[in-house]
Amino acid sequence: MQAMTFIGPVILLGIVLGFVTIAILFERKVIGWMQGRHGPNRVGPWGVLQSVADVLKLLLKEDIIPHQADRSLFKWAPVIAFIPAFAVLAVIPYTSSLFFADIGVGLLYYIAVSSITTIGVLAGGWASNNKYALLGAMRSAAQMISYEIPLVMAVIGVVMSVGSLNLIRIVEAQKDLWFILPQFIGFVVFFISSLAELNRTPFDLPEAESELVAGYHVEYTGFRFAFFMLTEYVYVFAMAGLTTVLFLGGWNPLFGMDFIPPIIWFALKFSLIVFALFWIRATLPRIRIDQLMQLGWKVLLPLALANIFLSAILKEIPWINQFY
Amino acid sequence: MALSLSGESIAFFVLSMMAIGGGIMMINSTRVVHMVLALAFSLLSIAGIYVLLHAEFLAVVQVLIYTGAISILMLFGIMLTKHKVDEEDGWSGRLGHSLLSFLGVGALFAIVMGVIYRTPFAGKVAATKSFTVEALGKSVFKQYVIPFELTSILLLVALVGAVILAKKEADS
Repeated sequence: MQAMTFIGPVILLGIVLGFVTIAILFERKVIGWMQGRHGPNRVGPWGVLQSVADVLKLLLKEDIIPHQADRSLFKWAPVIAFIPAFAVLAVIPYTSSLFFADIGVGLLYYIAVSSITTIGVLAGGWASNNKYALLGAMRSAAQMISYEIPLVMAVIGVVMSVGSLNLIRIVEAQKDLWFILPQFIGFVVFFISSLAELNRTPFDLPEAESELVAGYHVEYTGFRFAFFMLTEYVYVFAMAGLTTVLFLGGWNPLFGMDFIPPIIWFALKFSLIVFALFWIRATLPRIRIDQLMQLGWKVLLPLALANIFLSAILKEIPWINQFY
Repeated sequence: MALSLSGESIAFFVLSMMAIGGGIMMINSTRVVHMVLALAFSLLSIAGIYVLLHAEFLAVVQVLIYTGAISILMLFGIMLTKHKVDEEDGWSGRLGHSLLSFLGVGALFAIVMGVIYRTPFAGKVAATKSFTVEALGKSVFKQYVIPFELTSILLLVALVGAVILAKKEADS
């Protein structure tokens, strides 16, 4: 066994934590800018230390467990939610040489492992013994299950044209043409579903503060609350990475500009997706629960199925099939 | 039969302990939600054992369907029921009874293990490394395509039936 097997994940964890710190600040700055505000600007120059201060505050806070809560489950729930969030990062390839696990079913692994987080969310909501927490957890689970189906269906087109579930092979297949062009419907469905999977606006119903106080983590304080927030932002990292790999060609350069190193290309595309997430949050209002379910089952799922049929038909037509 | 202490056997040992531990936790819990979580943990450990057998696809599907979907479905159902537990789970049996049942279980375990170790396994070890997703897809969609399609029709019929039953209840 090599030393990198042990040190690599630790370095990745450090990078992810750094990303989360910056992403929270970036999100608040971007939304502030779009809404004509300043955003955080008190802690450090330009407010750079705001997230650090927030995290420090969360870690130093008193850890409160409600008297009526299920103590053991209340403590375990943030852990159950966080571990899969970090475990899915193992399969995302950053460049052709920088990746952690090269497994044949990488794409399915991501989808399978990320579904475990829902159990943590449900357990946290139930263990709090609070009706708002329980309602938030139920909504979250219903939303995650409903949108996982179009999410998976949307990537089948990509899998069909590559002929593999391995994420590295999927990137290599996009050397000439990124899948965002031939699989445009797939990309749109995937992106909308990923917004819902990440519980971000306009799909942030599980933590709708105006109706549910704060959703499933309403009873959580201190570092346990921080763990739930961390889970959410680690998933932003993972989902942005996955979208880059599946539809934006991973580390492949645009217009043959290969003098820019592949890792920078990956980071650029990745940042674009993260910015789009924040941009959408600043632009759109939250939708209602019935609209959410209708969109998932009556619009996105049929679209994803149509995309599969279309891809299969176009794959058989001469000349066009070079793109599929 | 010598058990070589390779990384694989250690991993198998840990995973099977986790799977059995999850099962025991499930039986010993008093709250239904704890039981479902213990069950999910047990199923997850079994997925780990599939990975050891090079059945990656099966492992991932196990996590996706059993640990993810089915456990969440069960949790969903249970959470809408009563939260309070009946805390009457006291120690009520006599010492003699538990001793007797321990002896019985121990004897059964010894007999079963003895029989397993004496049985010679016929056939060769399968080359599990060739069980790729590609090979699996080829065998399902070429060799077993008719059973596969029939199963899908069966599932579709079941789905339609469920919808009709639910609709009837909603109308009345």
